[in-house]
Amino acid sequence: MRLLTGEGYWNPLVWLAAAIGVVLLTAFVWTRGRRDYKRGTEQDLPFLSGEKMDGAHVGGQHLYWGFVEGLRPYVERLRAFHTGFVGDYMAWLVLMLGAVFLIVLLGG
Amino acid sequence: MIGNTPFVVCMVLVALGLWALLFRRNLIKIVIGLKLIENGVNLFLVATGYVRQGVVPIYTYAPKDATMVLPTPQALTLTSIVIGLATTALILAFVVVIHRHQGTLDAGKVTELKG
Amino acid sequence: MNLATHAPILAIAVPLLGAFALPLWGKLHRYLRDLWLLLVGGFTAAMAVLLSARVFTAGIQVYTLGAASPGETVASGGFPIRIVLAVDALGAFMALITVLVAVVALVYARRYLAEEEGKTLALTLGTLLWAGMLGMALTGDLFNFFVFFEVTSIAACGLIGYRTWAARGPEAAFKTMVMYTAGGLFVLLATAILYGEYGGLNLAYLAAQIRGTSVDRIALGLLVGGLLMKVGAVPLHMWAPDAYGEAPAQSVILLVANTQVALYALFRVLFTLYGGVADPAVGWLVVALGALTVIVAALMAVVQTDLGRLVAFGAVSQIGYMLLGVGVGLTVIGARPAFGLVAIQGGIFHMLNDAAAIGLLFLAVGAVEKAAGGRDLAGLGGLGHDLKWTTGFFLLGSLALAGIPPLNGFASKLMIYESAFRLSPILTALAILASILLLAVFLRAFQGVFLGPRLKPATPVPPPMLVAMGILALGVVALGLFPEFFVRHLVTPAAEALWQGRDAYLRAVLGG
Repeated sequence: MRLLTGEGYWNPLVWLAAAIGVVLLTAFVWTRGRRDYKRGTEQDLPFLSGEKMDGAHVGGQHLYWGFVEGLRPYVERLRAFHTGFVGDYMAWLVLMLGAVFLIVLLGG
Repeated sequence: MIGNTPFVVCMVLVALGLWALLFRRNLIKIVIGLKLIENGVNLFLVATGYVRQGVVPIYTYAPKDATMVLPTPQALTLTSIVIGLATTALILAFVVVIHRHQGTLDAGKVTELKG
Repeated sequence: MNLATHAPILAIAVPLLGAFALPLWGKLHRYLRDLWLLLVGGFTAAMAVLLSARVFTAGIQVYTLGAASPGETVASGGFPIRIVLAVDALGAFMALITVLVAVVALVYARRYLAEEEGKTLALTLGTLLWAGMLGMALTGDLFNFFVFFEVTSIAACGLIGYRTWAARGPEAAFKTMVMYTAGGLFVLLATAILYGEYGGLNLAYLAAQIRGTSVDRIALGLLVGGLLMKVGAVPLHMWAPDAYGEAPAQSVILLVANTQVALYALFRVLFTLYGGVADPAVGWLVVALGALTVIVAALMAVVQTDLGRLVAFGAVSQIGYMLLGVGVGLTVIGARPAFGLVAIQGGIFHMLNDAAAIGLLFLAVGAVEKAAGGRDLAGLGGLGHDLKWTTGFFLLGSLALAGIPPLNGFASKLMIYESAFRLSPILTALAILASILLLAVFLRAFQGVFLGPRLKPATPVPPPMLVAMGILALGVVALGLFPEFFVRHLVTPAAEALWQGRDAYLRAVLGG
């Protein structure tokens, strides 16, 4: 069941066997942990800036903040192109058509 | 003796339609630009079928051994016109609904979906 | 009447007529409508699977409309004058993808669509879209392709915008319709140019006649431009987030399959129609657009806050992988090195994997919308407490899309990475970077929507929707654990049809 890719091969069943081995190792390490943790008590309340609060929720748009902020200069420049205006979409089509003509007519 | 003039005229129509699509902000004018492009392409289709000194390609009406213009592009153009009718009706229906909600037909203001 | 020989035309005609009869049954009673839909859908799927089985075992199937016998393609004058449906392995592969997507969509729509919100209309348009996709995949005639192109445009835009009680759907449908119609008119103009030059509309006949004059090249430019528009390559992709974000969930997967069938048409034009006059410049164009699509769409997905638009940008990015893979094959087709075939195999395998993974993600987003009442990341949270199955499906789909082993995305992406590396290492670097970006985007969405404390109780997801998602999830896992089986039996014949199958195609249609 090997997928030959020309440079090598990929066998997902071997990968699965290795992954099961890693999971067993992780489970072994987990059983060596503390036993006095109870779910549903005040032990597992969300911890936000030094205080335990019930119902604290970080919305999806705030997660991975550093990652998103690091990419923001590039993305904002791209977002400026997506104006939502139909004339701009058609302008891209005409430009692309010109580029395709250039390549097809001259690139032979 | 007319040479390539029909094809040039059709390309001018297509260019006019593209110009209207690109530079007009009223939604109805954008649809008119789309129709201009379609009319140009349909005329191009009919023009490709022309045979010099050809008559109308009606089998029972033409004199015997007459050269007829090609009938296939005319069938293609009929199909294309009907398709154009359906697409225009659909686009105009969407324009009416947009106007009912937003109260405007300016394409620069109908940009709720952006970014 | 032998049903198997007439399978190509039945697979197109039955859903077409069945779609128009659906509202009539719906007026009588909705159970009759559901029964009719079951019959029509089942028969179409059976015809398409039967046809594909015949193609994979017996070779290219040809069907001439209106002739005395289906194989009579060439008329007495020496060239084809009737519409010919020519199905080779790649066309059969695309038909199978549409069958998978349409069956899943119809199962999902059973409970996803509310009766009073135009369910009959959505089912009619969905069946019509399926008929149009099958027509585009099975046809061997250029004008017939344009007709089905427009049929799918009308059905797709109807599906995007039929919910007229909000303004967003019709706005997205308007923009998508303008772009689709403009692209379709360029395709028609190219058809007119080719007809005026050679006097025929049959793909195989034109492919045998095309010589590479500048008029031919203008037609090629128009065809490529119009089809790239429908495929959604950057910078012509801007209709795609609007369309995929505003359509109801069961029709979004039909729209994704529609885009893939347009991609098939682009490959048919580049490899079969213009295969005799191929030059590497067009291949480099496809490769460059593929790489650009992959990275730009992944970057745009990072800052989206609407879950539907986020997954939509992921879908646009995956189209870039398919363009990249097959473009690498097109660039090197002159010298025929082995990695070109692997690249095309990777691109085509990715079509099937993407249909399953993105389909699963879009259906999960639809389930979230039905359970929690909204799709904005700011208002969602903690849905994993109530929607356990949906959480698992979303996680499975995200990992498959990002290319994590052992799921199916990894298998096809590995083939694309390794063969694109032989052409230029920059392509592989960009593709892997986009995969990492998409993984981050989807994990962020997953954590924000499903993990965390419960915000408000969610209504449970109806079982037919879970069954539909389960079918796709099963497909994702099966394609991932046993890729060799699918590649050997389904993907390699389809890839060979592009790589060296042009002569066989011409011989099958034009008769030796």
